[in-house]
Amino acid sequence: MAASKLQALWNHPAGPKTIHFWAPTFKWGISIANIADFSKPPEKISYPQQIVVTISGLIWSRYGLVITPKNWNLSSVNFAMAGTGICQLTRKIRQDHFFQAQEAPVEG
Amino acid sequence: MYLAGKVAMSAFRAFWNSPVGPKTTHFWGPVANWGFVVAGLVDMNKPPEMISGNMTAAMCVYSGLFMRFAWMVKPRNYLLLACHASNESVQLYQLSRWARAQGFLDKKEPEVQQ
Repeated sequence: MAASKLQALWNHPAGPKTIHFWAPTFKWGISIANIADFSKPPEKISYPQQIVVTISGLIWSRYGLVITPKNWNLSSVNFAMAGTGICQLTRKIRQDHFFQAQEAPVEG
Repeated sequence: MYLAGKVAMSAFRAFWNSPVGPKTTHFWGPVANWGFVVAGLVDMNKPPEMISGNMTAAMCVYSGLFMRFAWMVKPRNYLLLACHASNESVQLYQLSRWARAQGFLDKKEPEVQQ
C-alpha cells in the first residue's frame, strides 16, 4: 500500500523525475542563503535585492497554484522566501531608521 | 498609415487578451522576477564587499534551473525564460566580482627558482 503511494508520488507530473520538482526544490536555497545571512551585519543587506525577494515571493506563491501542473512546492517555497525577505528588510530598516534616532542625542 | 495602425491595435489586443498576458498571473510572476535582474544591475555599482556570496551562488543555480522550468511549464513561458537567462548572466558576473574580492581568482605567483 505504501509502495503504491510512493510510486504515485514518484511518477507524479510534478514529481522528482521532472524539472517541476527540482527547480522549486532548489529555490529553498535562496531562503536558506537568506537565513544564513541573518547573522551578517545589516549594512551588508541590499535593499533592491530583498525588496525583490519579498514581492516576487508573494506573487509566485499565487502563480504556483495557477499553472499546469499545480505546484504546491513552488507556492510554499516562495511564501517562505517572501518571509525571509521581510525579515531582512525589517533588520535593515530598523538599523537605518531607528538606530539613527538613538545616536542623535549623543551628538547634542 | 491606417493599415499599420490597425495591425498594431490587433497585435496589442492579442497581447492584452493572451492566456499568458497582463490579465494573468503567468505574466506578472515573470515580471516580478525581472526585479532580480534589475536589483542585480543596481548592485553591480556597489562595492564587492556588499555582495552576499550565499545569495549570489544560490541565484546562479536557481536561474539555471528555472530556465529549464520556463521551457517545460504549460503554458511555455518565454518571458520567464528571458528573465532567468538575464539573471543568470548578472548573477554570474556578481559572483565573479565577489570571488575576486575574496581572493579566489588571484593568479598563483610562480615560485622563483634560484
